[in-house]
Amino acid sequence: MAAWLAASPLVRDSGDHGLLLLLGLGGVLALCVGLAARWSAALAFGVGLLGAEQAVWLARGPDALDPWTPLYAGAFLLVAELAWWSLEQRVPAWAERGMALRRLVTVLFACTGGCVIAALVVIAAGLPIHGGFGLELAGVLAATAALAVVAAVARTHVR
Amino acid sequence: MTRAATPKLGAYAALAGAGLLAALILGRPELAALAAPFATLLVVGLSLAETPGLSGVLELDTDRQVQGESVELELELRSETPVARLELLLDLPEGLVAETPNPQLLRLHAGERRELQHVIRCERWGAHLVGELVLRAHDPLGLLIFEQTLDLRQPLKVYPRGETLQKLLRPLETQAFAGNQLPRTHGEGIEFADLRPFVPGDRVRRVNWRATARRGEPWVNETHPERNADVVIFLDTFAEARGRGESTLDHAVHAAATLAVHYMREKDRVGLVAFGGVLNWLTASSGIGQLYRVLDSLLDAEIFLSYAWKGVDLLPMRTLPPQSLVLALTPLLDERSVRALLDLRARGFDLAVIEISPVPFAPPGEQELDDLAHRLWLLRRDALRSRYLRLGVPVVEWREGEPLQAALEEVRTFRRHARVTRA
Repeated sequence: MAAWLAASPLVRDSGDHGLLLLLGLGGVLALCVGLAARWSAALAFGVGLLGAEQAVWLARGPDALDPWTPLYAGAFLLVAELAWWSLEQRVPAWAERGMALRRLVTVLFACTGGCVIAALVVIAAGLPIHGGFGLELAGVLAATAALAVVAAVARTHVR
Repeated sequence: MTRAATPKLGAYAALAGAGLLAALILGRPELAALAAPFATLLVVGLSLAETPGLSGVLELDTDRQVQGESVELELELRSETPVARLELLLDLPEGLVAETPNPQLLRLHAGERRELQHVIRCERWGAHLVGELVLRAHDPLGLLIFEQTLDLRQPLKVYPRGETLQKLLRPLETQAFAGNQLPRTHGEGIEFADLRPFVPGDRVRRVNWRATARRGEPWVNETHPERNADVVIFLDTFAEARGRGESTLDHAVHAAATLAVHYMREKDRVGLVAFGGVLNWLTASSGIGQLYRVLDSLLDAEIFLSYAWKGVDLLPMRTLPPQSLVLALTPLLDERSVRALLDLRARGFDLAVIEISPVPFAPPGEQELDDLAHRLWLLRRDALRSRYLRLGVPVVEWREGEPLQAALEEVRTFRRHARVTRA
């Protein structure tokens, strides 16, 4: 799946592939290293590099919105979920029947939901609303607020 | 209950933030769309995550078991909130092994009571506390981990499994109470002892008619009375030799339990002295209650490192009854226990030493000097045994794998040829 994400911009891009190839290969390699060494930071770096490859392709590409973005969003989430699932501590535990299947269904459901969210974002971005400094400021504030909410909810409590 | 973030949470937050920032910098809303699922998953996952309210009740089917047997454990786990994935580990003390899968991974619904059964095999004797549960719960999207330890410990006593002895070591002297031992004296009993001429006052039923017919005058049977004896098991807990998961103390406790059970079955009074860094003693008594007291005391036997010099004069007098048979179970590694046993012999006790051989636990090294040192050590041990033998104390080396009966037979053989002298 990660290889497909890495190869897709190369196939769709008609210009110089050097930077895209570097980012794509780097992302896949970082994912492989992270899985082999059970290193979470490498996984994040790998997904980040694949995202950067997408960003470079979008920056060099046409101004029109990419309609395949929701699919890529779901694929990114699926790669990340499966990667971190592989990284989880191996506990030689006897498991109830259907635990793995139930979890896989949850992951697929989350990825499908991710596709829907991404589609809504793309649709909203395509609305004929003219930008400006105010709207950009609102966007920065919204992004910061979103991260702040995440940080607040995720604060860990240590005994 | 401790809550911790998984590495995924930080990574998703970073990826979401990077995507949103890149969207603002490059002016491409598609990047925001790529980042949106990560951010949404974080918010949804963290909102759905609840601290699990887990509690449990644990029961063992028995609180006493014999080494090598199994115990059934019933665990009722309750959860106030739904738990998507719960890892459950029954943290067993050393010497107990779970025969059922451990750990287990399960899912609990809100308000659910789940009953789990575990079978635990008691591999080593001892007093254990069973029932420490380590729980690790995951939220549905794998962003947070909740860890908790439930202390539901119940005591479990695992007694050493003894072996069957065909014949016990007979004490030289007996006591005044009824038992199964045959003293050297003559009296009212069943076992034939001797013949003697009839004297006025003898009962007619005692007349040995065959001897009377042969000799032409009345002769009567004399019998041995059935008496009990006092036996004190002397356990050396100063030092042990250990290797391959067992030690000389394990063998000593195994032998002590075997001897205690068999002597009490013969209606003898059995006492126990654990002579080591910590002194423990049990005065001699009989009955099923005393048997359990002796076995429970054996469970407490441990090696405590101590440099204090201790002698048998520290023991209360009633702990070592006069004319009692003292069976010492010792690896003869510590000078204090060696001296204590010699002291007992000097005080006139009927002493037999069963040496729990430490030689299998101390193999010779590979170097020539190591081999020489090992041989010197073996020679020193032979000299120590000779010291006991010269004083008339039977010392038998009992090695792992040999039956205890063989060691007792060696002691009996020594006693047949040696005579106890008293000053």
